[in-house]
Amino acid sequence: MAFLSILMKNLLKGPSTEPLPTADSPTPAAYRGKVTFDETACVGCKMCEHVCPGGAIRFEERPEGLRFMIWHNTCVNCGLCSHYCLTKAIKLSNDWHLSHLQADKYRLTDQALVAYAACSGCGTKMLPTADALMRLAYKKVSPRSEHLRHLCPDCRRSASVSGDIQ
Amino acid sequence: MTDSLVQTLSVLFAAVVFPGGIFAITLGLALKGFDRRVFARLQRRVGAPLLQPFYDVLKLMTKRTLVPENANLVVFLMVPLLGLASMGVAAAMIPIPGLYDPSPAFGDLLVLFYLLSVPAVMLMLAGSASGSPFGGIGFSREMAIMLAYEGPILLVIVSVALKTGAALGQPICLSLSEIVRYQQAHGAYLFDPWMWPAVLTYIAFIPANLGISPFDIPEAESEVLEGPLIEYSGVALGLLKLTSAVKSVVVIGLGIVLFFPNGPEGLFGLVVFALKCLVITVCGVSVLRAAVGRMRIDQAVIFYLKWPELLGIASLALVAMNL
Amino acid sequence: MNFLSRMSKKSPWLYRINAGSCNGCDVELATTACIPRYDVERLGCQYCGSPKHADIVLVTGPLTARVKDKVLRVYEEIPDPKVTVAIGVCPISGGVFRESYSIVGPIDRYLPVDVNVPGCPPRPQAIIEGIAKAIEIWAGRI
Repeated sequence: MAFLSILMKNLLKGPSTEPLPTADSPTPAAYRGKVTFDETACVGCKMCEHVCPGGAIRFEERPEGLRFMIWHNTCVNCGLCSHYCLTKAIKLSNDWHLSHLQADKYRLTDQALVAYAACSGCGTKMLPTADALMRLAYKKVSPRSEHLRHLCPDCRRSASVSGDIQ
Repeated sequence: MTDSLVQTLSVLFAAVVFPGGIFAITLGLALKGFDRRVFARLQRRVGAPLLQPFYDVLKLMTKRTLVPENANLVVFLMVPLLGLASMGVAAAMIPIPGLYDPSPAFGDLLVLFYLLSVPAVMLMLAGSASGSPFGGIGFSREMAIMLAYEGPILLVIVSVALKTGAALGQPICLSLSEIVRYQQAHGAYLFDPWMWPAVLTYIAFIPANLGISPFDIPEAESEVLEGPLIEYSGVALGLLKLTSAVKSVVVIGLGIVLFFPNGPEGLFGLVVFALKCLVITVCGVSVLRAAVGRMRIDQAVIFYLKWPELLGIASLALVAMNL
Repeated sequence: MNFLSRMSKKSPWLYRINAGSCNGCDVELATTACIPRYDVERLGCQYCGSPKHADIVLVTGPLTARVKDKVLRVYEEIPDPKVTVAIGVCPISGGVFRESYSIVGPIDRYLPVDVNVPGCPPRPQAIIEGIAKAIEIWAGRI
């Protein structure tokens, strides 16, 4: 007769149902939901595109910069992209409100542009070196590294060899 | 001439409006709504709105009715109608203590006993006419469990009829109105320890007849996909749902009439009757449904052939000893 | 008629079709009904065993080549009006199985889909949100 006491307890405790869909439901902070992208931290290594099992992430070279695109409708929220992202430019938020009408099927995308910067030496277009990458590479950002940061690889090489930035 | 016309009309009214037909449908659906709500609360859920069974039936009335290619069209579509009609008549045969007395034209307890098995037979026909293998399995299961529970319920009916008959100085009393009147005068059988085996048998009979867990084997949703109902849709399915709602009123009402018909006169008697139905639904149906899982068909048949059958024989023996 | 359609939109019955799913989404669908925390019955929904009783169809899985004809046949058996909901990324785009040799989806190539609920699998809450959207569409169809 143990079940009767369980039933009685259930009856007394009242429903434990969340008031969905009229109100929001508590979501753990670590829940892997919609992918977010921070274009200022991206270094353009494209590792996320490489590891994405669903092929949700696409990079595209444009004249004005590197275009990032994610189609949430094929993202499986596995978190590989964020795991492999050096600078944590790509992260998984805990947003799960993704259900949508069929008309919006191909609009459920996020796009961002990692704009090219000009090399401070020769003016060629290059991907900017993100602050996050600088913090990863150097313990402390010195004036020298700050200078090198704005140079394209060619200019940087010649600057290092000629030693004019000691 | 006018007398017979009035009688015919009153019988028709009883079968179609009150207490059969519309009234029984309303009461049955309301009981079902309560049952679902209480069931949900017992599982700590909010559950569907109280009027959900009404919404369900109204929705089914607006949906398209599909008839399978290999079904027998006439049988397939007649079955829900016949089931509902038989249950409407059966509901009209249940006296509501203090308010309604069925016309003798309806027949006696034995007719009611036969009518009670009509929906089950109709479900069997539905299952076999639908041409679906799941319907066929539902058919065989319905038949097995029906054979198992018909025995005990007949024993219960006979014990009550014998006991009332002996008290009234007849060999056997098969009139429900007489049974109600006797109990109202001399106290309900529910409080007579000699009748407790019969009460227990009847309680065990309710879930099997209504197709409620642990005896919802013919319509097991997860095994045979609602069995006989699998091919039904739209209006036909709605009629089958109405049949089961009226059946719950008939079965529970018969239990009340056989064992505890006492209550006040007039309209208030109706309220008391509905309250009794509600209490039996909550205690005998919702709690049972929430507490147990589904049996296998062989377990259910053996259970019925063992315990309720024994209890039924015991109750008959007790009544016979006291004659 | 107006009264009937107003009443009947409160009773959307659900039916699930597994179009070659890994069962992840099916488990989440089961939780929406079986776990008190989610309780889809509150919206008047009820999972039914037979396609002929259904109003809202929940499709999971990427529609494998082998199961395609059967899925289409079951879909045909569902009486009109009906609303189709694609649960999980597989029926929507193919997900991780996209462009596989054994996949003929996405499912909207063959069935008129109304609501998409992406996720792998979607949370039960997200599924309920999608079902709520589907109920709105269904109310417009009856």
